[in-house]
Order: sequence, then C-alpha cells, then structure tokens
Amino acid sequence: MFLSPAERCVHVGKTIGFLERNHFLLRRLHSLTGIIPIGAFLIVHLTTNSSIVWGAINAQKGDTPLARGVNTFQHEVAFIHSLPFLILIEVFGLWLPIAFHAVLGVYYARTGSMNTARYPYQGNRRYALQRLSGYAGILFIFYHVATLRWGWTWLPYSSIFNARNAASTTALALQGGTEGLQFDGVVVSLSYMIGVSLLVFHFANGLWTAAITWGLTVSAAAQRRWGYICATLGVVLMAMAWMSVIGFATLNAADATRIEIGTPSTHAGRGAELAPELTSTQPGPDARTPKAE
Amino acid sequence: MTSPTDNAPHAPRRAATPGRSVIFRILRADGPGGAQRWEEFKVPIPAGANVISCLQWIAANPVTTSGQRTTPVAWDSGCLEEVCGACTMVINGKVRQSCSCLIDEYAPGEGDVITLEPMSKFPVVRDLWVDRSRMFHTLQRIKAWVPIDGTYDLGPGPAERPADQETRYVLSTCMTCGCCLEACPQYKLERDPENFDTAFVGAAALSQARLFNAHKTGRDLKPDRLEALMGPGGVNDCGNAQNCVQVCPKHIPLTESIAAIGRAVTIHAFARFFRG
Repeated sequence: MFLSPAERCVHVGKTIGFLERNHFLLRRLHSLTGIIPIGAFLIVHLTTNSSIVWGAINAQKGDTPLARGVNTFQHEVAFIHSLPFLILIEVFGLWLPIAFHAVLGVYYARTGSMNTARYPYQGNRRYALQRLSGYAGILFIFYHVATLRWGWTWLPYSSIFNARNAASTTALALQGGTEGLQFDGVVVSLSYMIGVSLLVFHFANGLWTAAITWGLTVSAAAQRRWGYICATLGVVLMAMAWMSVIGFATLNAADATRIEIGTPSTHAGRGAELAPELTSTQPGPDARTPKAE
Repeated sequence: MTSPTDNAPHAPRRAATPGRSVIFRILRADGPGGAQRWEEFKVPIPAGANVISCLQWIAANPVTTSGQRTTPVAWDSGCLEEVCGACTMVINGKVRQSCSCLIDEYAPGEGDVITLEPMSKFPVVRDLWVDRSRMFHTLQRIKAWVPIDGTYDLGPGPAERPADQETRYVLSTCMTCGCCLEACPQYKLERDPENFDTAFVGAAALSQARLFNAHKTGRDLKPDRLEALMGPGGVNDCGNAQNCVQVCPKHIPLTESIAAIGRAVTIHAFARFFRG
C-alpha cells in the first residue's frame, strides 16, 4: 500500500510533529533562505562595506583616497536608509529568514556527528566546518546586529552606528574607542575578521551543497565545476570581507568625521530626508557610547 | 567521479617481512548489547594472509598476548571475494571488507598492529559480527524492486537501451555492505526497529532508489519511492559530507545518486504542488 510520509509515521505508530509533517518544505526552505535572501544580502552587504576601500577609485567622491572611500561608503549607506519601508525589509527580508535558517540549522546540525578524525577527507572537513561556522555565525550575526543595528549598548565592546556618520561610527565600533586600535578594538576587529570569514565560507560551501540538494548538479564533474564557481565567489567575497574589516579597523575616525561634516548631502540629496535623529546628531569622537551609564 | 578506496595506509609500502608475527587488537563483546573490551592476539603470518585467515587462526588458537585463554572471536563472512559485504568491519579505523584486506599491505613488519572493530552504526551481535537487517528493511521502505508479480503473464518487458543498462550496472553492484553508512556522519546507530521507517536511509538505499527508478518497469513505483524519500529520514537528511563515495568498495557513484534523487524529488514536489 502506498503511504505518504505522514501516513508512514502514523503507520509505525509515531506521533507526527510539525517538523515531520512539513519535513520536505522546511528542509528546502532552509536551503533556499540560505541563498535568498541571506546569501544575496551578504553579497550586497560586503560590497557596501568594502566600499570604504574600493571607494578610493571613485573619482567623483573627493580629493583624497580616504575622502573618496568615506564618501562612497556614506553614499551607499544613505541609499540603503532611503529605501521605503526599510524596517519591513529588515524584519521580513533579513531578521526572520536569518532566525529561521539559524534555528533549523542548529536543529539539523544536531542530527549529525562529526567523524573527521577517522575520515579526514576534504568533503568531510567542509561538512564539519559548515556546521561549526553556522554555530559561530549565529553568535557573530547576533552581536553584530544587536550592537550596530539595535544599539544594545549593554553588550561588551558595543558601540552605536550612526547612518549619518557611517564610516566614522563603524570605525569607532571596530576600534573600540577614539584612541585608535586599542585592546578592545583588537578583540572586536579580530572577532569580526573570524566571524565574517566563517560566514563567507558557510555561504560559498552552502551554495555548493544546495546545488546537490536541489539536484541542479548531478554528475561528479558537474559538482566539481560548480565547486570552482562557488570557490571563486567565496574568494571574491572573502577579499571584500577582509577589505571591510581591515579598512574600518585602520580608518582614522577623526579624519573620517571631518570628511563626513563636509558632506552636505548624499545620494542625490536624499540624505536630508533621513530621520531627524540621524540628521541632527552632532558627529564627532564622542559618538561612542559609554559602556555603562 | 569515483576515487579509489582510501583504506590502505599511505606510508611508503615496505616489503613484507617473511615469517613475521602481527598483533591483532580486537574490540570484542560477548553478546548483543554487551560491554565491549579490547583483546590482543599475536598471529604468525603466512604469505598471502588476509584478515579472515588471521581470524581463522585466532579461532583455532584463542589465547591473548598475555597468555590468557579466551573464546574464539566471532565474525561474519560469506563469499570471501568482496561481493557479499558480510565481512565488513572497521580495520585500522576505517571501514572495509576484511576478506580483501591483505596483511602484507597493512602490517608488513614484525610486531605491526592491526585493529579490528565491529561497525559502529549497526547493533553488535557478538565481537565483530553486526546485525545489518536495518539495511534490508530500508530496501523494503523504498521499494527497491521491479514490480513484476501478477496473476497473469505480463508479457515481455520494455526494451532497455544499452546506454541505460550501463548506467544502471554499476549501481546494481551494491552489496548492501554498509561501508557508506559506517562512514556517514548523518547515519546513526538505531537499535529500535520501530524507528527504521523514519531514520535516515543512507547512501546505499538512495542509490538503489535511483537504480530502480531508472528501470523501465521499475519506474512504475517511482512516485512511491520519491514520496518515501521526501519524508523524515529521506534524501534531505544527507549532509553532503560525501564520505560514502570515498569508502564504497564497489566505486558506486553514490553522491551522483544522491543528487539524482534530490533532483527527482524536487521535480516531484513541484509537479505535485502545481498539478495536485
């Protein structure tokens, strides 16, 4: 007799939970959300952030390489903050998909057990690293979003991001203060370096396995070819990620602030339409929030 | 692409010393669910010895290296030519058939050690002998057969193209030995047969589903197989570590089979969603 997966569970006398009833849908949604929207956003996000470095080639944005980088990054940030219904995009396009991918990812990862000691094949190592980078990535993304987006200043080494002074406040966040790269800053910057590198690997490797999961790449040759493409994408994203972290960790925040003050409006004047709290903030080294009130 | 099995040590091959003795370190258990313990045996190695012939010597001389008399070590075997899969065990940490495991490759020197363990993903019956009945249950679960039973003559089957036969041939060499499952980080020991229908099926069964889906008569049951493989324990439980294809003694392209089933299930799901 033909049995559907749900009927099969009943047939063997098992209680069917939500996860079993929707097993296929949830598994494939988990795979999909890793690519769209999360992976797609990662590409956009790293492109924006690394503009602090590649912006130096943007001749229309200032006289010095520093100014061009700061202004290009500010331009990109202002564009993002000019998007309509930004909070809805964030909640439904980013935060909920990431939470979904993270919760199910942990649940699925717990169904496996790593055996790289006995079977140290390259594919098996990537399997293990995919899961470890997932765990680490959850902690990193939470810290990253909670401090720089939600402004949870009670978290250690936290700092407030200000979209009107995008480059200088990001630099202060990574450097841990106005004194340049001190101990706090080294901790934060290193955490960013490790966190973002693991996430880039997680995306590139996940893109490779997703092609197998969905049956896009079937033959071993096709899987190898797609592997080269994913690896290339990973290398490019890794370069942008390191550019971003090193760029902001070494940026002179005071210089960046002066450049930002001299930037009356950005992105076709839309900067002026930013929320009042963004436009009225007096930029400066005191943008860093004290750790305790 | 299949790669050669990665079981033999990679150290430069030393010439085997004639007339040497080798230490066998064996993980033993007296019965199902019994506590496991290590025992060591010193075995004289004649030319051309394999693990099975050494186990036969131990059965005749069940005395440990410390001089303790013990019970003969139990193991399972059948064909002794690597086509039945019964003698599969974990040798020096990696899973393979013990009949094709030559001592000259693994322990060429006097006093070299070979460790033998039962597979960890199946319940131990005794010593190195495990109960692989879950694998055969899984073949039933995915209907790994060609439906030709009937009350009347079904006539000749549809003609098969030689190219398709060739694709299917390598898949048909699966001997249900369990190497792919032992090496799989997603496949777990399951003692309770009640859970056999929802636990991960593993690479061997996914490849068999592909084999019978590709058969012109066998594909009658394709929807049933895909429905079974869409649910809990199906193809989605694969984590793409791809150890299976590395350890398969028959060089079956298991990861291609997994991807092929993934594709079939994707198409099946979309068709079901839009067509009803």
